[in-house]
Amino acid sequence: MRTEESDPMHNDGVGDTRTEQLVREFDHDEAVGEALAGLHEETQKVEVAPMSRGSLLKRAGLVAGGGIAGMLIPASLARARDGGTKANDVKILNYALTLEYLEAAYYAEAVESGALSGTVLYFAMVVSAHETAHVGLLQSVLGAKAVKKPTFDFKGTNRKSHSFLTTAKVLEDTGVAAYQGQAPLIHQNAVLAPAGGILATEARHAAWVRDLLGAGKTVKPAPEAFSTPKSMSEVLKAVKATGFIKS
Amino acid sequence: MSQHTPAVDVSHLAVIDTDGALREAADRVNNPSRRGFLRGAGLVIGGAAVSGLVPGSAFAASSGDVAILNFALTLEYLESTFYAQAKKHAGLTGAYKRFAWTVHEHEAAHVGALQKALGKSAVKRPTFDFGAAVQSQTAFGATAIVLEDTGVQAYQGQAPNITSNAIFEAAISIHPVEARHAAWIRNITGINPAPYVVNPALTKDQVLAAVTGTGFIK
Repeated sequence: MRTEESDPMHNDGVGDTRTEQLVREFDHDEAVGEALAGLHEETQKVEVAPMSRGSLLKRAGLVAGGGIAGMLIPASLARARDGGTKANDVKILNYALTLEYLEAAYYAEAVESGALSGTVLYFAMVVSAHETAHVGLLQSVLGAKAVKKPTFDFKGTNRKSHSFLTTAKVLEDTGVAAYQGQAPLIHQNAVLAPAGGILATEARHAAWVRDLLGAGKTVKPAPEAFSTPKSMSEVLKAVKATGFIKS
Repeated sequence: MSQHTPAVDVSHLAVIDTDGALREAADRVNNPSRRGFLRGAGLVIGGAAVSGLVPGSAFAASSGDVAILNFALTLEYLESTFYAQAKKHAGLTGAYKRFAWTVHEHEAAHVGALQKALGKSAVKRPTFDFGAAVQSQTAFGATAIVLEDTGVQAYQGQAPNITSNAIFEAAISIHPVEARHAAWIRNITGINPAPYVVNPALTKDQVLAAVTGTGFIK
């Protein structure tokens, strides 16, 4: 079991420079990606005999005491959602992957545009790294079942500072509602745990961009006491309406 | 389902939902499992149209779920009292003030909702002493970061343990709000609002160790 000091997942970040935090985030990627690659093996298999939850988690190296104990709860306490299926988990993961493809592309273009500076550029760089890492993580879990990356046209919204921020706010708020909407439907705890971690990260992104926009005056980083979920159909409808996805 | 499990009313944790989610919720009613039936009782999800089935109704929750709700309530008591005291003593201005006033409202709402859900099973508010943490803006900011970050990790760690789907959905309606709080105060103080690719979770024991380590609970 790692100590707090050596465990990259235990990260209070309070004393770190932003560069140190960015570096540690990339360490996070490898640990998470490798651990979930084990889960990827499981999702490829045809189910011939039922696999117990305990052995699934052990195969994926996800039991307590493994390198990601700070992120995932111990197997003995884990409980798969009732209802839902592994097949539907694949559908949910691909839905998440589609949204992450969109965000990753959006932010990467924004950073490359040269139009951003200062705290807005810093926001775009950090979030771009996160969304790209989320894409990698989801692709790793899904393996051959991963949907392909669409082509996007962001209509110049990510090439000017203010429209970048207002659009990013919509993307992040939508991402939060999307993950929150799907969480109750996720069947496998090994999928639920990282989904919860990504949900929290997207919520942090959402609050951050709102603070950049309104400094807590006109736009509140946390607009409500209870977050509102959105269904897959509602989110996909809203995404389609943006016209950002070309194919 | 045990005859002796306490009734828990989560209707006050309800959030307004969309037609699509209501349809998905209705689909789950067709799940033949016992818990599918409980989900179909129409709690939490939706506004009047769905909870009109059994408005304000209570249902049996596992003792594990009650313990988790009380764990959450304890953390929310801690946060709401912290903000209440900081508002009085910390000399907050500008962005700090806007943050504290809004977040206090949220945490108080969380306390109220959890107390209502738990009814007689709710733990009482502990006595707190925040000392220097609420005496200056700087100390307030640093402490708020720790409390909010810990709150996120606590909800995230417990959510998968929740057996009732209604309570699970209520918990994950609070978890992202705490994450927003954490990012907000981090940005105000000038540190990275989103330090994790994937936010970590903590076990209940880890959270309790962190909280008791603060010395805030008397």
